[in-house]
Amino acid sequence: MKTMNMVLSGLGGQGILFMTKVLAQAALDKGLNVIGAETHGMAQRGGSVVSHLRLGDVQSSLVKTGSAHFLLSLEENEAYRNIPFLARGGRLYANTSSEGFPRKEVRPYLENMGIVCRAVPASRVASKMRAPMSSNLALLGFFSAFEDGPVGYDDLKKTIDKVSPSRSGTINLKVFDAGFQRGTQQRE
Amino acid sequence: MGNGAIALGLMEARCQVVTSYPGTPSSEILPEVVRLVKSEGLNTYVEWSTNEKVALDTAFAASISGKRAACCMKQVGLNVAADSLLSAAYLGTIGGLLIISCDDPGPHSSQTEQDTRLMARLAKVPVLDPSNPREAREMAKLALDISEEFRIPVILRPAIRVCHARQDLKWDHFKGSKRKASFKKDPARWAATPRFRLILHGELNNKLKEIGGRFERLAAFNFHDLQKDKKYPLGIISSGVPYSVVRDILSEERREDIPILKIGTPYPFPERLAGDFMSACEKVLVLEETDTVIEYFLRDRKRVLGRLSGDVPAEGELVPDVIYEVINGVLRESGLEPLNSGGVKEAFALVKGLDLPVRKPTLCPGCPHRGAFFAIRKARPKAIYTSDIGCYTLGINQGAVDTCLDMGAAITMASGFYHSFAQDHVDQPIVATIGDSTFFHSGTAGLLNAVYNNARFILVILDNQTTAMTGMQPTPALGIRADGSRGRSIPLERVVAGCGIDFIEVVDPYNIKEMTELIKKATEYVSDPSGGIAVIIARHPCVIAYREKALLQRKKVIVTEDCVECNFCLDRFGCPALYRDEELARTSVNQSLCVECGVCLEICPKGAIVEGQYVPGEKGQ
Repeated sequence: MKTMNMVLSGLGGQGILFMTKVLAQAALDKGLNVIGAETHGMAQRGGSVVSHLRLGDVQSSLVKTGSAHFLLSLEENEAYRNIPFLARGGRLYANTSSEGFPRKEVRPYLENMGIVCRAVPASRVASKMRAPMSSNLALLGFFSAFEDGPVGYDDLKKTIDKVSPSRSGTINLKVFDAGFQRGTQQRE
Repeated sequence: MGNGAIALGLMEARCQVVTSYPGTPSSEILPEVVRLVKSEGLNTYVEWSTNEKVALDTAFAASISGKRAACCMKQVGLNVAADSLLSAAYLGTIGGLLIISCDDPGPHSSQTEQDTRLMARLAKVPVLDPSNPREAREMAKLALDISEEFRIPVILRPAIRVCHARQDLKWDHFKGSKRKASFKKDPARWAATPRFRLILHGELNNKLKEIGGRFERLAAFNFHDLQKDKKYPLGIISSGVPYSVVRDILSEERREDIPILKIGTPYPFPERLAGDFMSACEKVLVLEETDTVIEYFLRDRKRVLGRLSGDVPAEGELVPDVIYEVINGVLRESGLEPLNSGGVKEAFALVKGLDLPVRKPTLCPGCPHRGAFFAIRKARPKAIYTSDIGCYTLGINQGAVDTCLDMGAAITMASGFYHSFAQDHVDQPIVATIGDSTFFHSGTAGLLNAVYNNARFILVILDNQTTAMTGMQPTPALGIRADGSRGRSIPLERVVAGCGIDFIEVVDPYNIKEMTELIKKATEYVSDPSGGIAVIIARHPCVIAYREKALLQRKKVIVTEDCVECNFCLDRFGCPALYRDEELARTSVNQSLCVECGVCLEICPKGAIVEGQYVPGEKGQ
């Protein structure tokens, strides 16, 4: 398999690391090699959090700019901040309820690079289900409505069920599905 | 996680004693050891030591009792343990002794970017430099073997991108060691006097020579991909994390014309292997983190490109983009074909032009330190604020932190400031802040010294009953040990009193008014000729570690129309839940961030922050 590079971004406390864990575990369960990098410590005190995930036969845990196939962002500004990571033809999935996404300043660049942007109000989806902390799973569900490789809807769902703490497992799956529904509607 | 891989390596190598003081990026190693010890039913001894020197001394004693031992710390922690390390290198070991010192190029969460490999060179102990978690696990095992075979402490230095990288690993069950402790008295060695130290130094040098020979043949970690009798215009020598990056870039670009020498053991340096590589390449580029180590070991300086020649940045992390640019620069300069997958420079310019919010790290909403800093600045606005290493360094955002040097320096520097001003007959107010765990780590020696030498200042111990910054490890006051079992609790008050302090008061920093009054009282004591150093223990549980206990009384907070936009609350209190609402043109509360601690109710000069009913859907509130 060709190497698949992903970058996940957001703010401390939004569940970036859990989202990374789900994607990584799902890939592992499919027999893929996984390597990734996280930020801890100082960066988590309200700062920007970035997580890198690479699937395939590689040695370095960091994604080089211009080479990420996917950028998943739990916050709009953190999506913009990490645009340089996206490769030509990459896809950006962002949690935002802003009508003007993506900002007009970045549109020419994204078009030129053939980068597709898809937005979902993941925080709102999660809050509506009384699980405001699960916007990460809503975004993941949304993502899985468009992408089926290297890990797709079924793989992710199975993994969420497996790695969620028992008290939040059911609601996690529900929020994930709600995100997926959003994506499916948007696709049609 | 890399730290988990290291823990696994330790347990597979039947390490019987593991000690540590937490510090990013090393903090997860010990908890991972605990997890493995429990799941495999081992009897490994684990402890959170009070500091890194204590951790190393403890592990050293285990080693000379014949057991395999390891101690884990961050790179600046090794400075604290340096005294122990340099001496232990001379004395040698019995059971394998591994020191894991985790580096932080960047730096992401440290006061320096120092390179542990240089410390290994200074101490004359072998050092292994893993490139990824898998290798870190294997190296941990090898390091313990080498340590035991040659009777020398060995250092493993994973960088943050190894410690906090995740990689798939397979492992099987394993058994613990049945080795029993036995100490054979040999004072000439274990309590060696200077005369014997000279002999031991000779022994150490011989050990290093032998280990150097072994490393020449250590093909698992030191290897190159030269083709026989082929000559190359350029080769790359790399170690640690940069090696992984170089390997990925060159294989993506299919650059078989550039050979790589990977060095897993920077010291003792495999000179012959490097010599072979050098003679096949006209020039070599050295890519290593964070300082120059390998580069210094290559004698033919004219053919070496690196930091000394100005081709590699002398500070900062060697992330893929930096390495890409360095390689490309060297290729161009040498008239070789450049790499061709770069080129998103315009994206950086674009992002820069977006004026995205700069996200300063801040204390969490509800953090008890915030109230303490607010009270300190209010009560002693003209003081010099010496502070220390921990979350509370972020009191800098409230203008209540002026210095941060190293662990324990809040107290020692307060002392130094006092004497410097007192010498000129200037009565300079000084308020020192230090966390509970940092105080236990290295506060007492400084406090004893300050008391003994008649210094005068206020010391506020910010007691949130945990080591918060590094991930909520317990402190000696808590009386909970690394494996969760009960330890003996040592109250801060007793330690402070033992240091010769007579003024000890405890206050809840959630109560700003009370704390402000107390600081004023302490000020009087400090300036009284018969007074001394005043210690205030600002005690309130960390809101992240103990949410329920920290927030016993929840108070809904709103901002009224009395707000005059003076921004006092944003500047001096700086809670992330308070923000300027552009539409309302005043300060507002972000209800999803607010934890309802209610501390901000006391701070507004206009009384615009009040307890109130939040109406969902109402804009801004």
